[in-house]
Order: sequence, then C-alpha cells, then structure tokens
Amino acid sequence: MRLYSVEVEKAVERIRKIGAKTVCIQLPDGMKPYAKEIADAVEMETKARVLIWLGSNFGACDMPLGLNKMGIDLLISWGHNVFHKKEGW
Amino acid sequence: MVTVDVMFLDAPYSGSVELSKDTIRYLQDQKFKRVGLYASVQFVNNLERVEKRLEELGIAAVTSRADRTHVKGQLLGCDNYHDSLRLEEDIDCYLYIGDGRFHPLALVYGQKDSTKMKEIVCNDPIQKKMTLMGIDDIKNILKKYRGSLMKFFTSKTVGILVTIKPGQEQLRPALELEKKYPDKRFYIFVDNVISFDQLENFNFIDVWVNTACPRVGFDDQEKFMRGVINLNDALLAQEVLSKDSVFNNLPSATRR
Repeated sequence: MRLYSVEVEKAVERIRKIGAKTVCIQLPDGMKPYAKEIADAVEMETKARVLIWLGSNFGACDMPLGLNKMGIDLLISWGHNVFHKKEGW
Repeated sequence: MVTVDVMFLDAPYSGSVELSKDTIRYLQDQKFKRVGLYASVQFVNNLERVEKRLEELGIAAVTSRADRTHVKGQLLGCDNYHDSLRLEEDIDCYLYIGDGRFHPLALVYGQKDSTKMKEIVCNDPIQKKMTLMGIDDIKNILKKYRGSLMKFFTSKTVGILVTIKPGQEQLRPALELEKKYPDKRFYIFVDNVISFDQLENFNFIDVWVNTACPRVGFDDQEKFMRGVINLNDALLAQEVLSKDSVFNNLPSATRR
C-alpha cells in the first residue's frame, strides 16, 4: 500500500476545469519518486504538458518563481496546504 | 510574485492514524492529564481515533491554529519560536502525531526561551511506535547558536540573508536591525535558496543573520563558519541572553 494518497484525480479535475495547457508539479523530497506516476497519469488523462520542478519544496512558503514567464498555467504542489505568510517573526 | 494558479494537495496518510501501545503506556505512566496535540499536514485531518482514545484515557487534548497554518492542530517546521503556536492553555506535554523528526523538533526549539521545557511525545502512526524529544536533542546546536548570538552582540559587520521567495521574504523586518543597532554595519544579501557554499566568499562578514526559513538558524548552524542567528533573536539579543531560560542554562554539550 502507498503511504500517502497522491489524489491525481483532484489534479486532473482542476486542470480540466481551468483548461490548463502546461502544468508544473512540485513535490517534497519524500514524494519525488511519485513524479513519474503523476506526470504519466496527468498527461494521459488531460491534454496538458507536465513539467516537473527539480528543486526544493520545503513547504508552502517555497513556491518556484518565474513560472508564468514559461507559459505555465498551473502549479500543483503536493504535501503542503495553504500558508499564511506573517511579516516578521 | 507567483502569478500562476496554485493548487495544494495534502497527500494524506493512507493508513489508520492511531496511538501506539507504547504511547498510551507512557502517557498513563507519566499521569499526563492535558496534552498539546499537533500533527503534520498528512495526519492532521484524520485525528478522530487519536482524540477518541485520549478521551477514553481521561486525557484532555488541547490545540491551536498556529500563525501560518490553515488548519487547527497543524504543526509546521517554522513553528519554532515561542509564540507562533498561539497555544493558550497550560499542558503537561506535547503529543505529536506524524513521522520524522523535522516537525516535532520545532516544538523543542520553540521552548528555548522558556524556564522549563515540556517533553514532546512523538507518536508515529506508520512505524506504530513512540519516541521522546527534549533538550538533549538540540543542546549541542543551541550551544553553537548561543555562541553565535554572543558573537553578533559584539560584531561590527553583519550579513543579513534575505530570500526572494514570496512566502519567506522578510526585507522590511530585516531593516529593523539597522535601527536597533546603529553602531553595526549591516550588508544585505539576496538569494533564492541560501547558497551555503557562497558565504565564505564574503570574508568581511563577522556573523550572519537569517531572515528566510526560521529553521535555517538552527538546522544549518554548522554550515556557517562564522555563525548564524535568526532575525527574531537578533532583534532581541540582549533580552534573550539575559533571561532565566533553558537556552541560558544548557546542560553540558556532548559529542554526537
């Protein structure tokens, strides 16, 4: 049994809903081996091209910059949820 | 700013989230009556069985929604300073539900300025076992950190590290340091992910202040030849160093 649910169906639903053409997927280190399965499933079930973020994903505070310049419509980030930034700490 | 649509998927744990036998035995043996219950995002939405078991054991579970989280009871690795959890109630210990050491260590670091440290009981639903965390897990790092803080106090030339990541960028709060310490010369360095291998090229810096992820000051302490402290401790250096706290009464350092 897989330890964590990747919930690809939710990703596919969102991609279809917004008609995303190019999607970037971002995974924390422990889930990076799932990238193949996610990319294969998303590309099979939607018309979107999947790009895989190579670098860090320390938390929801750690979003890649500049994706819009490459025409990426949607970033899907696994293993985190909405982060409320606080100024100062 | 990130201007593309962003979707988060929690990746919840697929198995059953329960207290292990040794966790239950320990909580009972210690006669704990009130625990601060926290979990990482993979487990936090599935704590019903844990809460029910605690209730059966006569143990009250209290929790809070930490500053930067979206869900009550969720623990982030950056909840590592005293007031970020916003926990109002007094507790006998913390009970962390999840795997790994990264998240529960935040609860240990978060108590460094307290007079006494509450134990962290870590219940791992995957391995079905319990581990304990406390001052012994961080005392060697805190010794170095304390040395860096004392060095900051006397340093004239300080490097401030600011990240461009929107979720972590803290340039404006970093500038407060210049007002607080007019006798020091601060140089501000900008990066995406902190390039530890570049630090020594700037050999005129006496000590570094981290304003990116608050865990960098602790977890990456050994990567800074000249020492590093976190922004919040830099702003309150004198107060932090003069408190009657765990931080100022550390047990003897041991080799790891």
